Amino acid sequence: MAGKAATTSTTYSPSPTTLKTKAPIFNEDWVRPDGRGFHQCRPAFFRTGAVNAASGSAYAEFGNTKVIVSVFGPRESKKAMMYSDIGRLNCNVSFTTFSTPLRGQGLDNKEYTAMLHKALEGSIMLETFPKTTVDVFALVLESGGSDLPVVISCASLALADAGIMMYDLIASVSVSCLGKNLVIDPILEEESSQDGSLMITCMPSRYEITQLTVTGDWSTPKINEGMQLCLDACAKLAKIMRSCLKEAALGSQE
Amino acid sequence: MVLPNASEDLSTEMEVDAFRRLFPLRYYECHLVESIRPDGRALARARDTTIALGAVASASGSALVKIGSTTMLAAIKMEVMTPTMESPDEGCIAIDFHMPPICSPIVRPGRPAEVAPVVSKQLSDTISSSGMVDLKELSLVSGKAAWMAFLDIYCLDADGAVFDAALLSATAALSHLQIPAVSMNDDGKIVLMSEEDGERLAQEPVNKEKRKLALRSIPFSLTCILYKNYILADPTAEEESIMETQVTIVLDSSSQLISFYKPGGSVLAYTPAIQDCVALTRQRVKELQSILDEANSAMEVE
Amino acid sequence: MVGLSLGEKQFIQGGIAEDIRTDGRKRLTYRPIYVETGVIPQANGSARVRMGATDVIASVKAELGKPSSLQPNKGKVSIHVECSPTAEPAFEGRGGEELSTELSVALQLCLLGGKSGAGAGIDLSSLVVVEGKICWDLYVDGLVVSSDGNLLDALGASIKAALSNTGIPRVHVATGASSDEQPEVDISDEEFLQFDTSAVPVIVTLTKVGRHYIVDATSEEESQMSSAVSISVNRKGNICGITKRGGAGLDPSIILDMISVAKHVSEQLINKLDSEIAAAEAEDES
Repeated sequence: MAGKAATTSTTYSPSPTTLKTKAPIFNEDWVRPDGRGFHQCRPAFFRTGAVNAASGSAYAEFGNTKVIVSVFGPRESKKAMMYSDIGRLNCNVSFTTFSTPLRGQGLDNKEYTAMLHKALEGSIMLETFPKTTVDVFALVLESGGSDLPVVISCASLALADAGIMMYDLIASVSVSCLGKNLVIDPILEEESSQDGSLMITCMPSRYEITQLTVTGDWSTPKINEGMQLCLDACAKLAKIMRSCLKEAALGSQE
Repeated sequence: MVLPNASEDLSTEMEVDAFRRLFPLRYYECHLVESIRPDGRALARARDTTIALGAVASASGSALVKIGSTTMLAAIKMEVMTPTMESPDEGCIAIDFHMPPICSPIVRPGRPAEVAPVVSKQLSDTISSSGMVDLKELSLVSGKAAWMAFLDIYCLDADGAVFDAALLSATAALSHLQIPAVSMNDDGKIVLMSEEDGERLAQEPVNKEKRKLALRSIPFSLTCILYKNYILADPTAEEESIMETQVTIVLDSSSQLISFYKPGGSVLAYTPAIQDCVALTRQRVKELQSILDEANSAMEVE
Repeated sequence: MVGLSLGEKQFIQGGIAEDIRTDGRKRLTYRPIYVETGVIPQANGSARVRMGATDVIASVKAELGKPSSLQPNKGKVSIHVECSPTAEPAFEGRGGEELSTELSVALQLCLLGGKSGAGAGIDLSSLVVVEGKICWDLYVDGLVVSSDGNLLDALGASIKAALSNTGIPRVHVATGASSDEQPEVDISDEEFLQFDTSAVPVIVTLTKVGRHYIVDATSEEESQMSSAVSISVNRKGNICGITKRGGAGLDPSIILDMISVAKHVSEQLINKLDSEIAAAEAEDES
């Protein structure tokens, strides 16, 4: 992130003796490392109310990807900012030092922060909290692939938990292109050898895309296929998220 | 300052919630007189505590600790370093405490919490001075290679008694730590041993099997609030913000005093009060020790 | 920020709906593009691109580095954009930072391809000198000198031009060094390797105003947008990257429609840009 590679550290983590086969060949009989089907997502687990100190929060776990998102506010805008008749959304995504296989620095991830902001912006009714700010902070506890989509979905759930008015829940899913195959919800291993990726963030009930990123080399039919895969998965994910919210609401009534 | 008379007049006709916000100190005093706290605890009672070991799959040792709603996640990553000239057969533990913006409304990105470095330092001091870990155990090849254990503690939810929870998660993670099996290759680099090449004799195994650290006396702590003549054990964030004087006592498993912090505050601590705190801590140490033992034995069953 | 009166806003929106914009262009017409190469003598390659009042400079600097352990057979490229405070009053102080990050990320997505390097405009494996030991690190810096909309397309074009202007010194590797040592190298002052930039994609940003979308929007038009989609397309007509800006949601079918329009527009843009770059290079050499 900081331009040049990290300064040569005096410590190193021991690497395995036998290097793994370099690039797996994605032919007909290739199976995913965790044995899933190409179009099968990891089981998703969501829970709201993970952090008591926050106005709303959610915890999400997709396989080894674990994130916590806290929402604070609407509260007074800290910076000396101009008057605004719509609310502000402020996001931050950071990683723990132990989230990645190699010990990182736990820095703020500016790229993810900007993406999270854009993905959420379109779904929130900013005019319902003028002059104030809603803070959405995410911490990736463990990174196991598809981190950004999980952060985005989890953040949307946390916003709902905080009672922030939204047009719809936001669900996000990515697909990786490995050779000729499209695999959904890739894990870290798959992401590191992918030829391209496509991430969609959408409001499933409104059938609207709020954020879309594509990298790598894609032909138009492939994009079509990838988008359809993501949209279907988003709809399913949103159902899981909705049922999580319902459960939480029922639990608090009792 | 709040005028006591004004609050007394209002207290009869005001809603409880509003009263709590407007006159927090009066609100607490009303409770303290009855020897109970707003969350239903007795003054000397700590909150429910749970330990879950092995919460982080990518780390060699990890623990998730909850004291009430204060939540800490600690994980250890093992890296190899060249030991210093002064102590060629000793490894090193680097402890870092983080308060990310998710844990509390006070912390914002780019402006780290003031307490984080303080707690960080207290933790390192406590763990190194307790002699809990024998750093010689972290040695691999004398003078050439030794383990550097990076112990990172993240506060996920800050609701008072942050140091107690952080220390508990740190010790729990250390008790869960499995040192990986490694060997030294021809270039003098330490590499992981995978199971299939356990029999290859070309490499000289430095650490044959996964092993745990032999932990000696484990430090446990309890933070108490001193207010007038009351002692409140294991305070919540609300209590900490209203009543300022805190005392943190760290004892080891055999009840020996390791450290004692009283960072200022308006109440002066007299000897009897401190003795009471130590007595409370002694009780708490037994409680925590059994919770930690339970968590460890649960791991072994699995 | 652009302050527009209600009348001006309606004039812009109405014009776009009628397929005649305020400066007389059609919805899918670019402003004239001017390319200058070799504007920064210290850099290995540089170019300046102007589209109307939008003015950007890109420079490429090459340094010898070590490939990452995960990808020993690839060089490294980093793209960084800075918005000069002179370009717009809003960029003063830290104001331009957010936009700078956004542009940098979008350019990385659009030009560098997937993690395995497939679809990258720049062939990373051509940057390797000794596998796992030495490679070229390319530092691509973009500078926004003056901003009048459509910065991403202009920056994309300037980077393409700067790369084709880049000469990388040939490196002679001393033979005979043992396997685990860092080999000695000798950097030539005379021989330069030219980059093949035919695979570098162009970026086409479609800005949605009302029910229609336009290319190469000016700042005034951008202030009226609901969302914008930037699509990078290479010469083969394949998509190398998409990023979306602006908060409002879009129907998936509209996005697919935008992709096909972008492909069509990109053909003309690539040809136009290539001839401009060739002309600029010729002038630079003479």
